[in-house]
Amino acid sequence: MKTVVITEVACLTALGSGPERLWQGLMNKESGIAALKRFSCDNYSSSLAACIEGLTAPVGGSRLDHLLEQLAAQLGEVPADARLLVASTKGEIDRLETACRADQPIPRSMLFEPMLEKIAQRFGLHDPGMNINAACASSTIALARGAALIAAGQAEVVLVYAADIVSEFVFSGFSALQALSFAACKPFDSTRQGLNLGEAGVALLLMSAERAGRLGHPVLATVAGWGAANDAHHVTAPARDGSGLILACRKALQKAGISADQIAAVNAHGTATIYNDAMELTAFNALFAGKLPPLHGVKGSLGHSLGAAGGVEAVVAVYALQHQQIPGTVGCEQPEEEGQEALSAQSQKICGDYLLSTNSGFGGINAALILQGVK
Amino acid sequence: MQGWIKGLGWVTPAGSGMGRQTQGVLQPLQAGLLQIPERKDVFAQIDRRFGRLDDFSRVGLAAVTFSLRDAGAEIWEQKRSIGIVAASCYGCLQTDLDYHQTLIPQQGRLASPNLFAYTLPNCFLGEAALRFGLTGNSMIINRRDASRLTAIKVGLEELALSDQSGILAGIVDLAPPPELANDEDLPGGLFFLLERDQGGESYGALALREDELFFDEKRVDNLQQLVAACLNRIAV
Repeated sequence: MKTVVITEVACLTALGSGPERLWQGLMNKESGIAALKRFSCDNYSSSLAACIEGLTAPVGGSRLDHLLEQLAAQLGEVPADARLLVASTKGEIDRLETACRADQPIPRSMLFEPMLEKIAQRFGLHDPGMNINAACASSTIALARGAALIAAGQAEVVLVYAADIVSEFVFSGFSALQALSFAACKPFDSTRQGLNLGEAGVALLLMSAERAGRLGHPVLATVAGWGAANDAHHVTAPARDGSGLILACRKALQKAGISADQIAAVNAHGTATIYNDAMELTAFNALFAGKLPPLHGVKGSLGHSLGAAGGVEAVVAVYALQHQQIPGTVGCEQPEEEGQEALSAQSQKICGDYLLSTNSGFGGINAALILQGVK
Repeated sequence: MQGWIKGLGWVTPAGSGMGRQTQGVLQPLQAGLLQIPERKDVFAQIDRRFGRLDDFSRVGLAAVTFSLRDAGAEIWEQKRSIGIVAASCYGCLQTDLDYHQTLIPQQGRLASPNLFAYTLPNCFLGEAALRFGLTGNSMIINRRDASRLTAIKVGLEELALSDQSGILAGIVDLAPPPELANDEDLPGGLFFLLERDQGGESYGALALREDELFFDEKRVDNLQQLVAACLNRIAV
């Protein structure tokens, strides 16, 4: 098996542009969650979301076009032989909304295949790319697949590109499901009431360690383990016993060849819905035999960016391992009893080489990634 | 990378079917009008959840069900490490449009939570997972691919690169809105059950080498060829 490394990252979130800005914002306990001005929220259960400031759509285009340009500008040159794995749940959904509201024909260009072509072309890649849709675990599964392909020698370089935007289409749906929090969300807080949506774009360049060495790329972190599993329990609700998440984490530990007690910290999905966060704490307590390592979630700052969430959290994990700290969980003022020792609204020092990052989503899917820091 | 084809099921304009009970169908992948399956077409028992599914999910779930049934793997006691990889061009676009229709009147007040849940195309994978105890990886993939073999190739990669014992790999699409329709559209769902182990009855071995697919060592260029080869094997 080849060693898989992350050599470059780029991101755009409600906290601003670039991974450094993201890290500083999280460490400063900033929140990008604010009053939503993109559309009227009068009939919805919340009026808050974490939007990227100034993210507009070109005439006839999508907000994702703007996002793609900004990410491409951040990222250095990508080898043309890189495989392209995209992770987006709704892609250019804003174009569908525009067409529907104007009673116009649906443009073919809002489908995933033209979007993939656009991304491949922007980065100068030969591979036409593939979009992975596994709900909120999409980008973690894309990272897992990219790592698996490189580890097995099926690819040398993989670009994982993930993006989802805040749209009325999605916002109204979460409102109808009564999943939105009226106030700023509180991941893992005992008084949490639901999630806030967010938007983000993220790109991570994965390579075999040999290729990174040949190209002289600095190594940011190693992708040590990965795993995915379905709850086989419910379409929209998590399994309360956390069985799918536990299985995904155990697969990741096995792949990394480490035991749970070697995990220095956990970046949890932490949507701030009652059932998701309870399920995660149940799963982590089972996985770590009740001795949780420092644990945090970023959605109190960034909102839930759906398909992009796992990719953004992997970027945060890279920085956390480098700095041996995890940001505080914004909004978690009264941590759930099951996570009290591990959770904090303040940043926490960590000590160790490995960080576990997990995501779970509709369709019962769970995915786990273990990153190893560079000494 | 190799796997064994244990089951084949479909819901297409040719009707619903299974590889071992073709009812005279030689090639189920054909253009035409797709009939959305009713509960009684798929499950003998009354099943309220099936009635709540959107059309995309009904077609996908039915095709997965027939594939498992064809393999004799529908009934289960212990959850199984089987994943699902489904390729789709249009995904749940029709459900998106239907949901959006509920969003427009009264500025979102009447947005349908049930329809919204199915605007994520992978939701039917969860439906299949819980019905059949499938705990493997599950994802919808979108990729330009005239051969329609991408999901089969990804399925074989999943088998080779993970500890899953089986993968349901196939395609699902509804007919698109007229403005998006083209001659290459093949509405319907079709899934193979691929397993790591040879044990039990199989249609044959499927191998992936250098991005080319081989069924019993003969190169396969597209999904229709692979389906025809499997059905010929049964006919023989």
